[in-house]
Amino acid sequence: MTRQDIIKLVNDVFTEQFELEPEKLTQEKNLFEDLGLDSLDIVDLMVELHKTFGVALRQNEKIRRVHTLGDVYDFLEHYAAEHPEQIHEPEK
Amino acid sequence: MLKSVVITGCGIVSALGLRREELFNRLLAGESAVREMPGWTLPGAAGPLLTAPCALSQETIRSIDRKLRRSMAPVALFAALAAKNAAAESGLDESFLASGYVGCAIGSTLGSPHAIAQAFQILTQQGLEALPAQQFFQSVAHTAAFNVANCLGLRGQTLAPCSACASGLQAIGVAYDQIRLGRQTAMLAGGADEATPAVAGTFEQLFALAHPADDTPAAQAQRPFDEHRTGLTVGEGAGIFMLEEKEHALARGAKILMEIRGYATNASGSQTSQSDATAIRSCLESALADAALKPSEIDYINAHATGTRQGDTAEATALRQIFGANTPVSSLKGQLGHSLGASGAIELAATLEMARRHTLLPTANLTQVAEDCAGLDHLLEARTATPHFIVKDCFAFGGINAVLVGEIKS
Repeated sequence: MTRQDIIKLVNDVFTEQFELEPEKLTQEKNLFEDLGLDSLDIVDLMVELHKTFGVALRQNEKIRRVHTLGDVYDFLEHYAAEHPEQIHEPEK
Repeated sequence: MLKSVVITGCGIVSALGLRREELFNRLLAGESAVREMPGWTLPGAAGPLLTAPCALSQETIRSIDRKLRRSMAPVALFAALAAKNAAAESGLDESFLASGYVGCAIGSTLGSPHAIAQAFQILTQQGLEALPAQQFFQSVAHTAAFNVANCLGLRGQTLAPCSACASGLQAIGVAYDQIRLGRQTAMLAGGADEATPAVAGTFEQLFALAHPADDTPAAQAQRPFDEHRTGLTVGEGAGIFMLEEKEHALARGAKILMEIRGYATNASGSQTSQSDATAIRSCLESALADAALKPSEIDYINAHATGTRQGDTAEATALRQIFGANTPVSSLKGQLGHSLGASGAIELAATLEMARRHTLLPTANLTQVAEDCAGLDHLLEARTATPHFIVKDCFAFGGINAVLVGEIKS
């Protein structure tokens, strides 16, 4: 899975789940201050990322250090590199 | 000294429209919302599970901000949309709504059956990783009430009477009492419910769901008071009213739709699934006494009548004993289905419009009055009349009854 694949799938979650305009989704954006998410949205973000990528996140310490959209991309990119067998491949 | 209470706003989400003018027009035109729903099947059911759904456009749904909407399953969404319209019609401004003098009482059968079923399915089949943060908030019994409070910034009492099909009318009664006692100046009050195959299945299990003969259209399935009635269909929606202390409404020059003159609720103390004519009669008499009105002064009764064999008989028996054949009676459920906890409020909204349009709507699909439902002034067709005093009644599983007496003002 490439970083571009990850960006597309993550952005799809943000546009569908959080009803954000695609043009707002740039990697420097802070999830809370810039994109308006709150603590309940973060739970739903983990649920949606689990659904999309097959990654169990609730007990993952690293996900708690995510602040920006770029951090989400980075987290998943590293996770895919370390655990390729656990990541769902995107539907082409 | 008890205060007087009036209605200064009304909002609905119904299977026949989101405005009471539209609802009235479509009812008068004979339109029915009852239909077969694709995918609504249950093993063991005697036939299709007919329902009367509310179809909302994306534009309507998205008129509520995402962060408010995310905790709303359909039951709360219906309530919030109706409450917004009721608040807007009342003319009470945002600062007063947030003053703490305004609360809400919104009843439903059990919160969101859709969200509850989904929660169990997710937890048992997928586990916590897949459970959305909002699932609990969408599910709970007071979901409609707290979502309405959040949506409109209400800081007063937030109550959620749960009594199945009497929930909406009981909520109006609770709000009426709180304002009468001076504990709140205004309250948004009413009921909301959503239709699901599981809810329909509950009635099917009790042989209370309508199954018309093979050649009968779905629209004619539910036949209140009719000789050939076979049961009800499950509807959905919401009806919410702004109840306000009368002096407060008069002082600000608000348009008053109706004054609540009397209310009563009771229980049979014995029944689980069946209505009890003696308890219904007692409830009607208590509401009339609260209103200080005689039966002969009532101009129209909007009946609960769902089209079940036993329920309609019990209601007709009680109405006959008190009103005889002197007061026009109709039920709107033949066209709207039985919207459960929302039904009392939606049907009261339609009654307000009947008065404004000087037309009493008939009971759809009532072509042959059953012998055990006879002796009433059944409205078999629309009748020109301007009701001044009206009665709305609701009866629920658990033997619970609720009756409201209103004085139409405009």
